[in-house]
Amino acid sequence: MLPSRAFGRFIGRRLIALVILAVGIVFVTFVLTHMVPANPALANLGQNPTPAEIKNFDRVNGLDKPLPVQLGLYFVHLVQGNLGTSEVTSDPIIHDLGQTIPATAELAILSILIALVFGVGFGLLAALRRNSFTDFVLRILSLVGVSVPTFWLALIALYLLFFKLGIFPGGSRLSPSDVAPPRVTGMYTVDALLAGQLSTFWDALQHLVLPSIILAAANMGLLTRYTRSAVLEVMEQDYVRAARAKGLSRRSIVFGHVLRAALPSIVTVIGLAFANVLTGAVLVENIFSWPGIGQYGYQASVALDLPAIAGVSLFIAVVYIVINFIVDVLYGVLDPRVRVQ
Amino acid sequence: MGIFGNVTGRWMSGAAVAAGLVSLAAGTGPAAAKTASTASAGTLVVDTSFIISTADPARDLDPTGYIVDHAIYETLLTEHGSSTKVEPDLATGYNASKNAKVFTFHLRHNAKFSDGTPVTSKDVVFSLKRVANIKAAPSYLMAGLTVSARGPYTVVIKSATSNPAVPEIVTTPALGIVNSKAVLAHGGSDASNAAKTDKAQQFLDKTSEGSGPYILTQYSTNNQITLSANPYYWGKKPKFSRVVLRDMSAPTQLLNVQRGANQIALDLSSSQAATLKNNSGVKVYTSSSPNLFFLQLTSNPKVSPVMANPDIRKAIRYGLDYNAFTKTAGTGAIQAAGLIPVQFLGGLPTRDAIKQNLAKAKALVKASGIKNPSATLAYPSDINVNGLAFATLAQLVQADLGAIGITIKVQAVPVAQFLTAYNADKYQLVQSYWGPDYADPNDYLVFVPGGSVSSRMDWPASANPSLVKLGKRAGSTSNNALRAKLFTSIQKQLNASSPYIPMLQPAEAIVGSSNLTGLKLNPSWLLSVAEVGTK
Repeated sequence: MLPSRAFGRFIGRRLIALVILAVGIVFVTFVLTHMVPANPALANLGQNPTPAEIKNFDRVNGLDKPLPVQLGLYFVHLVQGNLGTSEVTSDPIIHDLGQTIPATAELAILSILIALVFGVGFGLLAALRRNSFTDFVLRILSLVGVSVPTFWLALIALYLLFFKLGIFPGGSRLSPSDVAPPRVTGMYTVDALLAGQLSTFWDALQHLVLPSIILAAANMGLLTRYTRSAVLEVMEQDYVRAARAKGLSRRSIVFGHVLRAALPSIVTVIGLAFANVLTGAVLVENIFSWPGIGQYGYQASVALDLPAIAGVSLFIAVVYIVINFIVDVLYGVLDPRVRVQ
Repeated sequence: MGIFGNVTGRWMSGAAVAAGLVSLAAGTGPAAAKTASTASAGTLVVDTSFIISTADPARDLDPTGYIVDHAIYETLLTEHGSSTKVEPDLATGYNASKNAKVFTFHLRHNAKFSDGTPVTSKDVVFSLKRVANIKAAPSYLMAGLTVSARGPYTVVIKSATSNPAVPEIVTTPALGIVNSKAVLAHGGSDASNAAKTDKAQQFLDKTSEGSGPYILTQYSTNNQITLSANPYYWGKKPKFSRVVLRDMSAPTQLLNVQRGANQIALDLSSSQAATLKNNSGVKVYTSSSPNLFFLQLTSNPKVSPVMANPDIRKAIRYGLDYNAFTKTAGTGAIQAAGLIPVQFLGGLPTRDAIKQNLAKAKALVKASGIKNPSATLAYPSDINVNGLAFATLAQLVQADLGAIGITIKVQAVPVAQFLTAYNADKYQLVQSYWGPDYADPNDYLVFVPGGSVSSRMDWPASANPSLVKLGKRAGSTSNNALRAKLFTSIQKQLNASSPYIPMLQPAEAIVGSSNLTGLKLNPSWLLSVAEVGTK
């Protein structure tokens, strides 16, 4: 089925909103970071900076210019694809993001996959076995997943599964004895496979699993709860009763009618799940020494590395907007009523 | 590194809070007699919370950066282990003029950079001039110093004023010697306008151009730094052919060091390290850190007439429970008798430290004539030093001073904002710390009236000209015995009347696999990885 003209307009409107939102977020981030009553030079030059050193730091980082000029220049550079240079690493922000995003992406993708498979599966199971012991256990587990703080869960998991039982390796992306595979995507598992380094792939995967599970815990809980209630709601619908009455198989009813109708609600939660992954990444990456964008953003905030803070904010904002955009489009695909509206 | 060094990566404090959750349990975990799982033979693993912004020595003033640069770049002189005695490195020795203004260094002839190029005086002059002219964080180390070559293997450093600390200063990793030809070829400059023209940092963050025992093979400021043995190193080959430094939070370090082999944890607090006491798989070394916590009061009556009052200042000095500070900081912490650490030349012994005297403190508060004295105590809230949070000490200070009738309101401030307001003389009372830039009392002249730290809270040179004079004399005297006496005298005067109240030197701990040797913490570069060996 070709998308209707109305659906095309719907996508066009969302794309325009995407650009306006991104510009607004950059503006707000820039203003907020510059409102902090602190001097980046003093945060980066140690205890005894001389006036000449402070002046040089401000000059090199463009902090000697009036704020509106800095903002204007930032936008000009942004259009040119230049996010500035980090005051801490002295590397272009684009370079730093290029180094850190693949690490977070690898973590986020596996985490979302785990959350999706187990969250939707558990939710469906709980709904189909409503008020049974299985339902009770899964509801408790989902409650735990949603309510337990990520950092606590990460520490306990490290203690039990790495230190006590030795099932998983500790923090970091690879064992110290291993060497990172030749960089193609920046995702070690993918790059190791591309290079045919199976032992490195296995090592990278082992390091990836535990932080991904921790990061997935909250989303798993969230998805279980939403899927359960969405499926229960659909199962009460007349057409499901009709399908049962017609003698359709249970499998056909669940996957062909119930789950499909429940999908729009689940897709909404998947959008939220991406938000949870990005916020949770800050804590998980710190505890697991995972050199991703969460760790980079946190360190930039502490050091008042303004270009890096703005760069990370922009990236996260774009991810949010794109995910919401995809969710909106998926609504349209999954629910014809949205396209018509 | 001075106060706070570079605040990057100070997420340690948050991690340290969480550490409590695991440290208790980890101590009761299995003895570390586990099989080696995280290190191959020949690889030394050092876990530390990274505080590093570059591997370019001329721009490096960070603790992790110093560990890396000390391994890669040789300096004219150096120190070994935790000793502060200067010893030969690139220079086989030096001569100092009687007035401590001219220092002549004789370079060894067999030193080579990692590409096989011989190290000559040209490289030394380039490296030191680059530090001075680049105007990055370590540039102040070269303040008042000029460097020149006298032949291919002789270097002369001249100081504008008498400065007996020069041999100590040249041991700092920031003054590491780079291969001038290679750095020049990659955008480096030592010219007077190097602050604008030098572009070699990115190059030096990817490769190393030094003559030290190691070369840089992998560099990431928030992940992992890998060093490999330098085949051209002239000295004794290091025991480990590969060193991996990993950015790890303290709780993770605590677990890793118990499971790994050839592994070191650098950032455990004294209390975390104490949980490993009965673990035969690891060795714990604790000592008093050269970092020094102190209170600083404003001398500006407009900012706080209470804190500027001499009787109140004395009252605070006598009102604090110093034993509680050291107890809180854990085994190895000691009360600071003066502002210079006890292990440095001129450091006051702990026996000379002030004792709490509540009756005297209360009497002094009364004598001040100020009714209901109060002040706000500001401290950096998002960093900790040697695992010790500023908030913990601030609460103790608040309780102690409350007991003698001084009401203290504590103000937690993120470190970046704290430094800005501190430098602008905005605070009434601060709790701060000083970490040595180099192991010499001259680094502490910032505390005499008019010094850079004193100026922050409005204690000008005119407040005590005789102490300023004494500071100048101590800083320029070449006789070490006399210098020690003069610095002792300065500290006693500071204790008698000044805006500073030394609190404590916290404990520092290094924990390593039990088979490792050479685990000693240096006041300047923490750990010399090349000196770590095995039994």
